[in-house]
Amino acid sequence: MKKIGFLIAAIAIAFSLTTAAQSNPEPWKPEQLLAPKQLADLIKSNAKDKLLIISVGPAALIKGSVDIGAVHDQVNLSKLKTLLLKEKKDREIVIYCGCCPFEHCPNIRPAFKLLNELRFTNQKLLNLPRNLKADWIDQGYPTNN
Amino acid sequence: MHKLFFAGFLLIAVAATASAQSSKPVHGTKPGNAAPEIRLPGPKGDTISLSSKKGKIVLIDFWASWCAPCVGEQPELAVLYRKYRHTAFKGAMGFEIFGVSLDSKKAEWVNAINKLGITWTQVSDLKFWNSGAAKSYQIESLPYNVLINGNGTVIATDLHGTDLEKMLLKIKSAK
Repeated sequence: MKKIGFLIAAIAIAFSLTTAAQSNPEPWKPEQLLAPKQLADLIKSNAKDKLLIISVGPAALIKGSVDIGAVHDQVNLSKLKTLLLKEKKDREIVIYCGCCPFEHCPNIRPAFKLLNELRFTNQKLLNLPRNLKADWIDQGYPTNN
Repeated sequence: MHKLFFAGFLLIAVAATASAQSSKPVHGTKPGNAAPEIRLPGPKGDTISLSSKKGKIVLIDFWASWCAPCVGEQPELAVLYRKYRHTAFKGAMGFEIFGVSLDSKKAEWVNAINKLGITWTQVSDLKFWNSGAAKSYQIESLPYNVLINGNGTVIATDLHGTDLEKMLLKIKSAK
C-alpha cells in the first residue's frame, strides 16, 4: 500500500514538473522581460551608458541601440556573437526586435538563446508584445530618427 | 440697412464655404473614403504614385521581407494577379497590386522581391515602422491591405486568403 502511495506521489510530481516546464518554454524568464517605459526612462537618464541595447530585428529604431540585423539569418547571428564576445558576462544587455507579435517573431529566441549559451548574467528582453510601432513609437519613447 | 445687407452677404459666404468643404472627398482608410496618395521610390529609385494606377482595381499590400506571414501571402497574391490582371470590373479595367514595403534595408527588400518573383509595382521609403505610408494608412500590424476602386475609393481593408478573391468576384459580377 505504501508503495502504491509513493508511486502516485512520484507520478504527480513528475507531471507537475513537466506542466511547469511546458508553461514557460521560452528561453527567457518572466523577470527578464523589461517594460518599454522602464527602458525609455533608462535611456533618458544617465544609466544609459551602462546599458548595451541591441536590435536583433529589421532596424535599430530605439535611441542609442546597436543594429545587428535580423538574427534569424545566421550571418547576423554570428555578428551578434562577435559583438557579445567583447562584452563582460555581467554587462547589462537589452535586446529587442519589434517586427511583429512575440509569438511570430523569428529573431528574439535565437538571440536570447545565444546570450544564455554564452553565460551572460544580466540580459533582458524588451517586452514588445505587439510591435515596435504600437509599443514604442506610438508611446513617444526615444528613437534614433 | 447697409449692416443688414453685409450680415446677409456674410451668411451666404459662410454657407457657400461649408458647402464646398462638404463636397470634398474624405481621405482615409475606411470603405467609402478616398485612399490617401502614396508617392514613394521603387526599387530602381524612380518615384511611383498610387494615383498612376487610377482606372484599375488596386490592392495596396503593406508588407516587408521580415514579416513571415506577409512573405507567405505573396504566392497567393501572384495567383490572383495573374488571374485578374486583365479582368473588366465595374468601373475599372484590370487588377493591380501596389506593394508598399516597410523594410529598412534596400538589399533585403530587393532580394525578397527577386526571390519571390514579384512582378507588380513595389515601393518603399525604407523607414520600417516610421514609414510615411504606414502612418497615413494607420497601419498597426502586418500584413495589411487596402482594396480601392478605379476612382481611388476604399472598397475594403485587410482581406486575405479566399476573402480577397471573393471580393474581386463580387466587384466583377456587379458589372
